[in-house]
Amino acid sequence: MNDRHDKGIDAQDRRRKRALNAFQVLIYGYLFTMFLIQLHMYSVSDW
Amino acid sequence: MERAAVASGYDVHQEQSREAQRQADRWMLPGAIMMTTAILGPIGFPLFLKGMSIQRKAALQGLSVRPMICTLLGYLVIMDSGLNSIGWSLDLVAHHSLINRTLVTAWGNMFDAGYYWHYNELWIGGTGAPGEKSWEIGLVPTVFCMRLAAAIGFLQMKRWGHQWLIVTCWFGVIYWVGYVANMTMFADLRYTGVVFPVIGWWIYDIFYITPFLAIPYLHTVNREIFSD
Repeated sequence: MNDRHDKGIDAQDRRRKRALNAFQVLIYGYLFTMFLIQLHMYSVSDW
Repeated sequence: MERAAVASGYDVHQEQSREAQRQADRWMLPGAIMMTTAILGPIGFPLFLKGMSIQRKAALQGLSVRPMICTLLGYLVIMDSGLNSIGWSLDLVAHHSLINRTLVTAWGNMFDAGYYWHYNELWIGGTGAPGEKSWEIGLVPTVFCMRLAAAIGFLQMKRWGHQWLIVTCWFGVIYWVGYVANMTMFADLRYTGVVFPVIGWWIYDIFYITPFLAIPYLHTVNREIFSD
Protein backbone atom coordinates (compact mmCIF):
# COMPACT_ATOMS: atom_id res chain seq x y z
CA MET A 1 0.00 0.00 0.00
CA ASN A 2 2.91 2.36 0.70
CA ASP A 3 3.91 2.04 -2.94
CA ARG A 4 0.83 4.07 -3.86
CA HIS A 5 2.46 7.14 -2.37
CA ASP A 6 5.75 6.71 -4.17
CA LYS A 7 6.70 9.55 -6.48
CA GLY A 8 6.79 7.18 -9.46
CA ILE A 9 3.17 6.16 -9.00
CA ASP A 10 2.06 9.78 -8.55
CA ALA A 11 3.80 10.80 -11.77
CA GLN A 12 2.22 7.85 -13.53
CA ASP A 13 -1.22 8.77 -12.20
CA ARG A 14 -0.76 12.32 -13.42
CA ARG A 15 0.25 11.15 -16.88
CA ARG A 16 -2.71 8.78 -16.97
CA LYS A 17 -5.14 11.55 -16.01
CA ARG A 18 -3.66 13.90 -18.60
CA ALA A 19 -3.94 11.26 -21.31
CA LEU A 20 -7.53 10.51 -20.29
CA ASN A 21 -8.44 14.21 -20.39
CA ALA A 22 -6.88 14.75 -23.82
CA PHE A 23 -8.58 11.63 -25.12
CA GLN A 24 -11.96 12.71 -23.74
CA VAL A 25 -11.67 16.20 -25.25
CA LEU A 26 -10.97 14.60 -28.63
CA ILE A 27 -13.76 12.02 -28.46
CA TYR A 28 -16.45 14.26 -26.96
CA GLY A 29 -15.40 17.04 -29.33
CA TYR A 30 -15.99 14.74 -32.28
CA LEU A 31 -19.33 13.59 -30.87
CA PHE A 32 -20.41 17.19 -30.28
CA THR A 33 -19.40 18.17 -33.83
CA MET A 34 -21.50 15.36 -35.27
CA PHE A 35 -24.37 16.43 -33.01
CA LEU A 36 -24.13 20.02 -34.30
CA ILE A 37 -24.15 18.76 -37.91
CA GLN A 38 -27.33 16.81 -37.16
CA LEU A 39 -28.95 19.81 -35.46
CA HIS A 40 -28.11 21.88 -38.53
CA MET A 41 -29.64 19.22 -40.81
CA TYR A 42 -32.70 19.13 -38.54
CA SER A 43 -33.11 22.93 -38.69
CA VAL A 44 -32.88 22.93 -42.50
CA SER A 45 -35.22 20.07 -43.35
CA ASP A 46 -37.39 19.82 -40.20
CA TRP A 47 -37.87 16.09 -40.04
CA MET B 1 10.56 -35.31 4.19
CA GLU B 2 7.62 -34.62 6.44
CA ARG B 3 8.37 -30.93 6.42
CA ALA B 4 8.10 -30.82 2.63
CA ALA B 5 4.55 -32.15 2.75
CA VAL B 6 3.33 -29.27 4.93
CA ALA B 7 1.93 -26.35 2.96
CA SER B 8 3.60 -23.02 3.74
CA GLY B 9 1.65 -19.94 4.80
CA TYR B 10 2.24 -18.55 1.33
CA ASP B 11 0.67 -21.60 -0.33
CA VAL B 12 -2.35 -21.39 1.95
CA HIS B 13 -2.73 -17.68 1.19
CA GLN B 14 -2.48 -18.33 -2.56
CA GLU B 15 -5.02 -21.14 -2.38
CA GLN B 16 -7.48 -19.06 -0.34
CA SER B 17 -7.05 -16.12 -2.72
CA ARG B 18 -7.70 -18.30 -5.76
CA GLU B 19 -10.77 -19.83 -4.12
CA ALA B 20 -12.16 -16.39 -3.14
CA GLN B 21 -11.66 -15.09 -6.68
CA ARG B 22 -13.30 -18.16 -8.17
CA GLN B 23 -16.25 -17.79 -5.83
CA ALA B 24 -16.66 -14.10 -6.75
CA ASP B 25 -16.45 -14.87 -10.48
CA ARG B 26 -19.06 -17.60 -10.09
CA TRP B 27 -21.56 -14.81 -9.29
CA MET B 28 -20.20 -12.10 -11.54
CA LEU B 29 -19.89 -14.09 -14.78
CA PRO B 30 -23.51 -15.33 -14.95
CA GLY B 31 -24.62 -11.85 -13.85
CA ALA B 32 -22.66 -10.22 -16.67
CA ILE B 33 -23.90 -12.73 -19.25
CA MET B 34 -27.50 -12.13 -18.19
CA MET B 35 -26.95 -8.38 -18.53
CA THR B 36 -25.66 -8.86 -22.09
CA THR B 37 -29.07 -10.22 -23.07
CA ALA B 38 -30.61 -6.88 -22.04
CA ILE B 39 -33.93 -8.57 -21.14
CA LEU B 40 -32.44 -10.55 -18.23
CA GLY B 41 -30.44 -7.51 -17.08
CA PRO B 42 -32.55 -6.85 -13.96
CA ILE B 43 -31.77 -10.41 -12.78
CA GLY B 44 -28.10 -10.27 -13.74
CA PHE B 45 -27.30 -6.98 -12.02
CA PRO B 46 -27.85 -8.16 -8.40
CA LEU B 47 -25.87 -11.36 -9.13
CA PHE B 48 -23.01 -9.21 -10.36
CA LEU B 49 -23.17 -6.98 -7.26
CA LYS B 50 -23.10 -10.07 -5.02
CA GLY B 51 -19.90 -11.26 -6.74
CA MET B 52 -18.37 -7.81 -6.40
CA SER B 53 -19.11 -7.77 -2.70
CA ILE B 54 -17.46 -11.23 -2.27
CA GLN B 55 -14.36 -9.98 -4.06
CA ARG B 56 -14.26 -6.78 -2.01
CA LYS B 57 -14.54 -8.69 1.26
CA ALA B 58 -11.71 -10.99 0.17
CA ALA B 59 -9.53 -8.00 -0.65
CA LEU B 60 -10.29 -6.45 2.76
CA GLN B 61 -9.26 -9.72 4.41
CA GLY B 62 -5.87 -9.34 2.74
CA LEU B 63 -6.29 -12.01 0.07
CA SER B 64 -4.61 -11.48 -3.32
CA VAL B 65 -7.63 -11.02 -5.57
CA ARG B 66 -7.88 -9.14 -8.87
CA PRO B 67 -7.83 -5.31 -8.57
CA MET B 68 -11.40 -3.93 -8.65
CA ILE B 69 -10.62 -1.67 -11.64
CA CYS B 70 -9.57 -4.75 -13.68
CA THR B 71 -12.73 -6.59 -12.64
CA LEU B 72 -14.96 -3.71 -13.68
CA LEU B 73 -13.11 -3.12 -16.95
CA GLY B 74 -13.09 -6.78 -17.93
CA TYR B 75 -16.79 -7.29 -17.25
CA LEU B 76 -17.67 -3.97 -18.91
CA VAL B 77 -15.97 -5.17 -22.09
CA ILE B 78 -17.73 -8.56 -21.88
CA MET B 79 -21.04 -6.72 -21.65
CA ASP B 80 -20.14 -4.29 -24.43
CA SER B 81 -19.23 -7.04 -26.86
CA GLY B 82 -22.15 -9.22 -25.74
CA LEU B 83 -24.79 -6.49 -26.01
CA ASN B 84 -23.58 -5.39 -29.44
CA SER B 85 -23.30 -8.96 -30.67
CA ILE B 86 -26.72 -10.09 -29.52
CA GLY B 87 -28.59 -7.10 -30.97
CA TRP B 88 -26.78 -7.17 -34.28
CA SER B 89 -26.80 -10.98 -34.58
CA LEU B 90 -30.56 -10.98 -34.13
CA ASP B 91 -30.86 -8.37 -36.84
CA LEU B 92 -28.45 -10.28 -39.09
CA VAL B 93 -29.74 -13.84 -38.82
CA ALA B 94 -33.04 -13.75 -36.89
CA HIS B 95 -34.66 -10.65 -38.38
CA HIS B 96 -38.00 -12.37 -38.92
CA SER B 97 -38.29 -13.81 -35.41
CA LEU B 98 -41.10 -12.43 -33.27
CA ILE B 99 -38.77 -11.24 -30.49
CA ASN B 100 -36.60 -9.36 -32.95
CA ARG B 101 -39.48 -7.76 -34.80
CA THR B 102 -40.97 -6.66 -31.46
CA LEU B 103 -37.85 -5.35 -29.75
CA VAL B 104 -35.88 -3.96 -32.67
CA THR B 105 -38.69 -2.16 -34.41
CA ALA B 106 -39.78 -0.70 -31.06
CA TRP B 107 -36.22 0.58 -30.65
CA GLY B 108 -36.37 1.88 -34.24
CA ASN B 109 -39.63 3.68 -33.55
CA MET B 110 -38.22 5.33 -30.43
CA PHE B 111 -34.65 6.25 -31.43
CA ASP B 112 -33.38 5.15 -34.81
CA ALA B 113 -35.56 4.72 -37.90
CA GLY B 114 -32.73 2.69 -39.43
CA TYR B 115 -34.43 -0.14 -37.56
CA TYR B 116 -37.94 0.80 -38.67
CA TRP B 117 -37.74 2.34 -42.13
CA HIS B 118 -37.94 -0.42 -44.81
CA TYR B 119 -37.26 -3.00 -42.10
CA ASN B 120 -36.84 -6.53 -43.51
CA GLU B 121 -37.05 -5.23 -47.07
CA LEU B 122 -33.40 -5.73 -48.08
CA TRP B 123 -32.55 -9.05 -49.78
CA ILE B 124 -30.75 -10.06 -46.57
CA GLY B 125 -33.54 -8.82 -44.23
CA GLY B 126 -33.15 -6.75 -41.11
CA THR B 127 -32.25 -3.08 -41.01
CA GLY B 128 -32.59 -1.07 -44.19
CA ALA B 129 -30.34 1.80 -43.08
CA PRO B 130 -27.49 2.52 -45.54
CA GLY B 131 -24.25 1.03 -44.30
CA GLU B 132 -25.73 -0.52 -41.16
CA LYS B 133 -25.68 -4.08 -42.47
CA SER B 134 -22.02 -3.76 -43.47
CA TRP B 135 -21.14 -2.79 -39.90
CA GLU B 136 -22.97 -5.86 -38.59
CA ILE B 137 -21.16 -8.21 -40.98
CA GLY B 138 -17.84 -6.46 -40.45
CA LEU B 139 -17.88 -6.17 -36.67
CA VAL B 140 -19.79 -9.05 -35.07
CA PRO B 141 -17.53 -11.92 -36.27
CA THR B 142 -14.31 -9.91 -35.86
CA VAL B 143 -13.89 -7.24 -33.24
CA PHE B 144 -16.70 -8.24 -30.88
CA CYS B 145 -15.48 -11.85 -30.79
CA MET B 146 -11.91 -10.64 -30.20
CA ARG B 147 -13.11 -8.31 -27.47
CA LEU B 148 -14.93 -11.10 -25.68
CA ALA B 149 -11.83 -13.32 -25.78
CA ALA B 150 -9.59 -10.42 -24.74
CA ALA B 151 -11.83 -9.57 -21.78
CA ILE B 152 -11.74 -13.18 -20.54
CA GLY B 153 -7.92 -13.20 -20.80
CA PHE B 154 -7.81 -9.82 -19.06
CA LEU B 155 -9.98 -11.09 -16.19
CA GLN B 156 -7.58 -14.02 -15.81
CA MET B 157 -4.81 -11.40 -15.55
CA LYS B 158 -2.97 -12.82 -18.59
CA ARG B 159 -0.51 -10.71 -20.54
CA TRP B 160 -2.21 -11.51 -23.85
CA GLY B 161 -5.56 -10.44 -22.40
CA HIS B 162 -4.13 -7.04 -21.54
CA GLN B 163 -2.49 -6.66 -24.96
CA TRP B 164 -5.58 -7.72 -26.87
CA LEU B 165 -7.79 -5.46 -24.80
CA ILE B 166 -5.62 -2.55 -25.94
CA VAL B 167 -5.86 -3.69 -29.58
CA THR B 168 -9.63 -4.11 -29.49
CA CYS B 169 -10.20 -0.86 -27.58
CA TRP B 170 -8.42 0.96 -30.43
CA PHE B 171 -10.61 -1.03 -32.80
CA GLY B 172 -13.49 0.40 -30.77
CA VAL B 173 -12.35 3.95 -31.44
CA ILE B 174 -12.16 3.25 -35.18
CA TYR B 175 -15.58 1.68 -35.54
CA TRP B 176 -17.24 4.20 -33.24
CA VAL B 177 -15.86 7.14 -35.24
CA GLY B 178 -16.90 5.45 -38.50
CA TYR B 179 -20.31 4.43 -37.18
CA VAL B 180 -21.15 7.87 -35.80
CA ALA B 181 -20.03 9.48 -39.08
CA ASN B 182 -22.25 7.04 -41.02
CA MET B 183 -25.24 7.81 -38.81
CA THR B 184 -24.69 11.53 -39.28
CA MET B 185 -24.42 11.19 -43.07
CA PHE B 186 -27.84 9.52 -43.13
CA ALA B 187 -29.32 11.35 -40.13
CA ASP B 188 -32.21 12.79 -42.17
CA LEU B 189 -33.62 9.34 -42.85
CA ARG B 190 -32.59 7.65 -39.61
CA TYR B 191 -34.18 10.25 -37.35
CA THR B 192 -37.30 11.01 -39.36
CA GLY B 193 -40.52 10.37 -37.50
CA VAL B 194 -38.91 8.81 -34.41
CA VAL B 195 -40.00 9.68 -30.90
CA PHE B 196 -36.60 11.15 -29.88
CA PRO B 197 -34.90 12.56 -32.99
CA VAL B 198 -31.26 13.71 -32.62
CA ILE B 199 -31.58 13.98 -28.84
CA GLY B 200 -32.23 10.22 -28.71
CA TRP B 201 -29.11 9.62 -30.73
CA TRP B 202 -27.21 11.73 -28.23
CA ILE B 203 -28.61 9.78 -25.24
CA TYR B 204 -27.42 6.37 -26.33
CA ASP B 205 -24.37 7.16 -28.42
CA ILE B 206 -22.53 8.73 -25.53
CA PHE B 207 -22.55 5.40 -23.64
CA TYR B 208 -20.77 3.64 -26.49
CA ILE B 209 -17.70 5.70 -25.63
CA THR B 210 -17.32 4.19 -22.15
CA PRO B 211 -15.58 0.95 -23.14
CA PHE B 212 -12.70 2.65 -24.86
CA LEU B 213 -12.15 5.32 -22.23
CA ALA B 214 -10.08 2.53 -20.67
CA ILE B 215 -7.31 3.13 -23.23
CA PRO B 216 -5.20 5.56 -21.13
CA TYR B 217 -5.46 3.17 -18.14
CA LEU B 218 -4.47 0.14 -20.23
CA HIS B 219 -1.44 1.94 -21.64
CA THR B 220 -0.17 3.16 -18.28
CA VAL B 221 -0.99 0.24 -15.95
CA ASN B 222 1.96 -1.70 -14.55
CA ARG B 223 2.27 -4.59 -17.00
CA GLU B 224 4.00 -6.76 -14.40
CA ILE B 225 0.66 -7.48 -12.71
CA PHE B 226 -0.28 -9.57 -15.79
CA SER B 227 1.29 -13.01 -16.10
CA ASP B 228 2.83 -14.50 -19.26
